Amino acid sequence: MHPGIYDTVLDWIPQGARVLDLGTGDGAFLQRLVHAKKVSGEGVEQDAGLVARCVERGLVVHQGDIANGLDQYGQQAFDYVLLLGTFQELVSPADIVREAFRVGQQVIIAYSNFAYIGVRLQMLLKGRTPLTLSLPLPWYRTHNLHFLSILDFRDFCRDIGVNEIKCATFNARGPVRYLPNLRAEESVCLLQSP
Amino acid sequence: MIKRNQGDLQDQKVTGYQSVLGVTQTQTVRLPGIRTQSGHEFAHVDIAYQTLGKLSPARDNAILVCHALSGNAHLAGLHPETGRPGWWDYHVGPGKAIDTDKFFVICSNVLGGCNGTTGPASPNPSTGKTYGMSFPSVTIRDMVAVQARLLEHLGIEKLFAVTGGSMGGMQALVWAVERPDQVRVCVPIATCTSHTAMQIAFNEIGRCAILTDPNWNTGNYTDTCRPEHGLAVARMVGHVTYLSEFSMTHKFGRNRQSATEEMFSVESYLHHQGQSFVKRFDPNSYLYITKALDDFDLFAGQPAAEVLSKVHARFLVVSFESDWLYPPAQSRELVRQLKRTSVPVTYINLETEYGHDSFLINNPPFSNLVRHYLDNEYHRE
Repeated sequence: MHPGIYDTVLDWIPQGARVLDLGTGDGAFLQRLVHAKKVSGEGVEQDAGLVARCVERGLVVHQGDIANGLDQYGQQAFDYVLLLGTFQELVSPADIVREAFRVGQQVIIAYSNFAYIGVRLQMLLKGRTPLTLSLPLPWYRTHNLHFLSILDFRDFCRDIGVNEIKCATFNARGPVRYLPNLRAEESVCLLQSP
Repeated sequence: MIKRNQGDLQDQKVTGYQSVLGVTQTQTVRLPGIRTQSGHEFAHVDIAYQTLGKLSPARDNAILVCHALSGNAHLAGLHPETGRPGWWDYHVGPGKAIDTDKFFVICSNVLGGCNGTTGPASPNPSTGKTYGMSFPSVTIRDMVAVQARLLEHLGIEKLFAVTGGSMGGMQALVWAVERPDQVRVCVPIATCTSHTAMQIAFNEIGRCAILTDPNWNTGNYTDTCRPEHGLAVARMVGHVTYLSEFSMTHKFGRNRQSATEEMFSVESYLHHQGQSFVKRFDPNSYLYITKALDDFDLFAGQPAAEVLSKVHARFLVVSFESDWLYPPAQSRELVRQLKRTSVPVTYINLETEYGHDSFLINNPPFSNLVRHYLDNEYHRE
């Protein structure tokens, strides 16, 4: 993900919040949150090697699958549930987002924008599945199951009945303010249940 | 000679094995007894134990390691007489998972055991004869009560950590639940909150092998006429359940000791395991301890949330993907119950392919994980 995404999320989360980071990877960002915002954080990660890296960092981490691992958390056990970069890998994103709203008050989701101009041009001019900084792996190696645009994501939120409170979009040159669906490579949104 | 990942350190040929700790001592102390859950009053108990490392001036660096069914107080380092390494020498020592340069490490033989702590082979003070089957039934909670006596004796009010695998993990769980103010960190490994029918079944096969050995003689056997055959068979069955198909194929395949040998390697290995076990283990102890394992229920009919709501410790729960005796699902269930009561718990299921024994063998990913976890938790404010 674009570094701006992480800076934005760091900015959005208040001091001392309870945070659940789904697909926490090696825990680098969760550790940043713990240090900078004194959050009580917990990560969920599938890969044992990455879980071990989280343990080295002193994080609380759970090895498991996001799809069937959320039912062990109580109602509203967290203030924020993060899905940074893992959102597109979920088999049923709507179910997970609903579950995330059960265990957390607000949900932050970051994803790649498939309507980015670079993606559109590659598709149009080369006739091949696009490869960009934010979609770096070829179709046969990517973990992404879903490809969506910023407009698609808005429809998704409307469909499952959650509100976008804040949104920030980025491309390689930095934040994107105008025409994000065309010009941004990645987007991050803070969602709230009405 | 032990090769990497070739097995645990008990009952192995240990030619050339070096321990960083060198020779370590085990001692025995006689302390005021306990009242067992079954209501028996021990006037006193003998406890065999080993300590490694130094207690910090703040007395805040003590780690209690609880042993499994066939373990004992000899945790690490070489035995002064036999020269054999302790059962967890791979993971306990300077710079190891349980770092004796940083922590004061204690391990004691369990109540009902046969390696120095009061058990069925001890003399009954009221008759002067060996207890045998007149020994009261013991539970995992009784074992913990005896460990608590030892800690009082050692002047340790609060443990930094309690850990153990298998039956040792059960004891660690009891510590966290029953003595919540005395435990900062709990690390149960490859364990469960109660045995399933399958786990009980394997233990029952072992017990039956002992009980049906003519030499068992309702528990009143003598040193020269012990039910060694039964105990050896019990150990053989047990040992199979500690391995995995992978480890057995990897280690033995369909090999034979030699072309003319009738026995497969796996057969002679099991015979060797059985034979060396009978030399160091009391058959009645095996009956009592396996029964304590089977009877164990952390929640004892209470709702898990209620029992766990008392816990103050932070947890690291470890399971192994290839462990079919204490399968990962049991650890996940424990983790789920802990999380539902908001206990901070880290869970990892390691890919080690050596079955239940994975925590006893040389296992660097496991070792590093525990070392980092304990180090970070010790420095947590």
